[in-house]
Amino acid sequence: MNPVLRTEGLRKAFGGIVVSDNVNLSIASGEILGLIGPNGAGKTSLFNLISGVLRPDGGSIFLNGERIDSTPLYKRARMGIARTWQNMLLFRTMTVLDNLLVGPRDYPGESVMRLAFGRGALRAAEAAMRNRAMGILGRMGLEQTANSLVVDLPFGQQKLIGLARTLMNDGPLLLLDEPMAGVEGAAYETMQRVVRQEAESGRAVCVVEHNVSFIRDLCSRAVFMANGKILQDGSVEELIASDILTELYFGV
Amino acid sequence: MFEPVILLQILWTGIATSAPFVLLTVGFSLTLKVTGLWNFAQSGQMAIAFYAMFFALHGLGLPLVAALALGGVLTCGAAWLIEVYGLQVFRDRGSDNLMFFIFTLILSEFIIYVITLIFGTEPETLYESILSPVDIVGGIAISDWDKTGVALAAFALAALYGFMRYTKEGQFLAAVSDNAKLAELYGISAQRAYRVTAVISGLFIVAAMYLIGSHGGVVPNSPLELVLSAVIGTLLGGIGRVFAAAWASIFLALIQSFSILFIGSRWQNLLLYGFLFATILLFPRGVRLSWGRR
Amino acid sequence: MDYLVTIAVLIAIYTILASSYNLVIGYGGLSTVAHPIFFAIGAYTTGLLAVHVPFIPPVGNVVLGMAAAVVASVLLAGSALRVSGDYLLIASLGFQLGLLQLLKNLEFTGGPGGLSAIPSTIVGPMRGPLFLAICGAAALACVFAVRTIVNGPYGRAISAMRDEELAFTALGRNAMSMKIAIFAIGCGMAGGAGGLYAYYFQYLSPDQFDVLASAAILTMVVLGGMGTAFGPVVGAILLLAIPQAITFLQLPPAIMAPTQGIIFTVLVLLFLYLRPSGILGGKA
Repeated sequence: MNPVLRTEGLRKAFGGIVVSDNVNLSIASGEILGLIGPNGAGKTSLFNLISGVLRPDGGSIFLNGERIDSTPLYKRARMGIARTWQNMLLFRTMTVLDNLLVGPRDYPGESVMRLAFGRGALRAAEAAMRNRAMGILGRMGLEQTANSLVVDLPFGQQKLIGLARTLMNDGPLLLLDEPMAGVEGAAYETMQRVVRQEAESGRAVCVVEHNVSFIRDLCSRAVFMANGKILQDGSVEELIASDILTELYFGV
Repeated sequence: MFEPVILLQILWTGIATSAPFVLLTVGFSLTLKVTGLWNFAQSGQMAIAFYAMFFALHGLGLPLVAALALGGVLTCGAAWLIEVYGLQVFRDRGSDNLMFFIFTLILSEFIIYVITLIFGTEPETLYESILSPVDIVGGIAISDWDKTGVALAAFALAALYGFMRYTKEGQFLAAVSDNAKLAELYGISAQRAYRVTAVISGLFIVAAMYLIGSHGGVVPNSPLELVLSAVIGTLLGGIGRVFAAAWASIFLALIQSFSILFIGSRWQNLLLYGFLFATILLFPRGVRLSWGRR
Repeated sequence: MDYLVTIAVLIAIYTILASSYNLVIGYGGLSTVAHPIFFAIGAYTTGLLAVHVPFIPPVGNVVLGMAAAVVASVLLAGSALRVSGDYLLIASLGFQLGLLQLLKNLEFTGGPGGLSAIPSTIVGPMRGPLFLAICGAAALACVFAVRTIVNGPYGRAISAMRDEELAFTALGRNAMSMKIAIFAIGCGMAGGAGGLYAYYFQYLSPDQFDVLASAAILTMVVLGGMGTAFGPVVGAILLLAIPQAITFLQLPPAIMAPTQGIIFTVLVLLFLYLRPSGILGGKA
């Protein structure tokens, strides 16, 4: 079966620092891939390359067989690459619901023309999006926060909202950048559950995480990166058992 | 019309007249490099510099040295105050670039209006006569003003270069201009760097306004035009490249000088703006002449 | 009476300018100072067409003026935004000044002496009030158009873009074309105001559109409140009313002009320090 995402020989360097060194990665539909490694290994850079924030120096990226390494960031999102951010990057002056409503791949309110000439269709589309947004919030048990400003919510809920906003993009690929960092308790459970649901519905999911138990609970496969290179690619158990990795990750 | 002597004369005069503009451009470009700001408050400082010296010479009858000192103190003082009580306040608030632009422009206008109220709108010069003694060297007229200008600009540039390269303070400026947050992690104070830059550009402004004020009439609104040529030079040289901006100023002055051979004087200004347009559209990152790899 | 009508027409025109400028900088968050030049492009295009191409009706000329302003703004924003958002500020300054120089030096536009003898459209004793009605209606339309744009889904997108442009783009939104669209709409409105201005005053000179005019429009927006729909209206009224009030003080002209300038700049500076959200602005 063809992978949803495939990178081939991906390379990127900043000045003298190599953040991606001939990276070959593939993620299949329904798979939850864990991406682990020490800080500075190039994990977030890899996400940035895949989602389009960075342009690679060399190599190629394929989404469902289509080559995307020169496609601009916003187009890749519309093609179905959805990602979260380490710093969440929620829209601070807006409510939870409004944050989500900007999320869908095709946002009808983006065109001024439609504002002027398609009011009826616009209203219908808005209503549909609103339902979807409330549905996603419902899955997380956060419907009551819909009209609160995001900055008024506790940290754990903010992280969930960040994920909710990303989920408004119903595309085939989901990239989660340290979703669990600083999250515990009920929010942690909710996040695990939601991510598992997404994979079960057919999405290809890749998670960057330092939280080893999260990786062990959720991921079937994991990839270990250090210094921009993929050092090992296999099942989670194999990776965790590997000596070299333990030394690199926890060593010195 | 194209005899060597005439061409050399135009060359020399072009270089000499570029001196004050080089000074203004370098001050402006340095400020942009270190603080990241297009500091239009410098046009207000230009007005303060000129009129302080003018007042010292004509109002108080002080000798030149005292006038220069007064100009220096008031201009650098104003620059420092603007940095500490103006720009830093907005920085702390996290204001965006537009806020800074509005603040610096409006502040300059305020200063210029006050000066207009005090001094009126008649053109003024620092000396009774704007002509200075002229030597003829190899058929080329070289005036005292020319010599002062070129010497002042050359000295200032050399001093700045030495300062940036060889002193601790100068290296701090370079560090802050590269990455202010990173520099702070190493214990370098960004605020101090901004203040030092303010004072340096203040000095450059005083030198420039001395040259301009002894060479032609100045009105309160003159600084608004002057800061524009600083902007153009900075853009052409490339953001963050102070000495390239100096070259750009000289280049622009030479273009304007030599263009007299071909076009009428009313088109001079237009030429300058033509360059500005071209730079914005074609070389937004400045013109890069590669003298080999850096 | 005539004089009051002229002031009212000016308030209406200034309202359009301030409102459209507010759309661009207050809501769109785009740093630009080139607004008066689009006002000028609209005014000169309308004026020149009126003088040289008599068979186009006045409405057509105003619309063409707006179109010219839109085209110019797309060119400017398209080139400048490719570098960075901050670059637009300087690029707009350069564009403003360069075009102004062109206007001052071309024979075709009347040079520094200006473009005069723009044909009359409405004649007779009702000219003033009729123009006022037209300009007033245009101003109202403009204010409400801006309000409609910034509420609802488009406004939501604009807010999100201002809050976190990277995340916004990564959701699939084309931030660049939104910025250009907002810029074009704002500048187009300014162009329309220019057309109305040209027909009312029947005379245009480059000095009416210089950098100090930028500062005047900026003042209106800052005082009234950036990012509010009615703030610019308040700003426009203030900017025109205050000098009138000062005129009553009967100061000699040499003192009056700089005094007015000082009052305005001090007001703006005070507001920038103490109440950056302006008179109508809510959150600090």
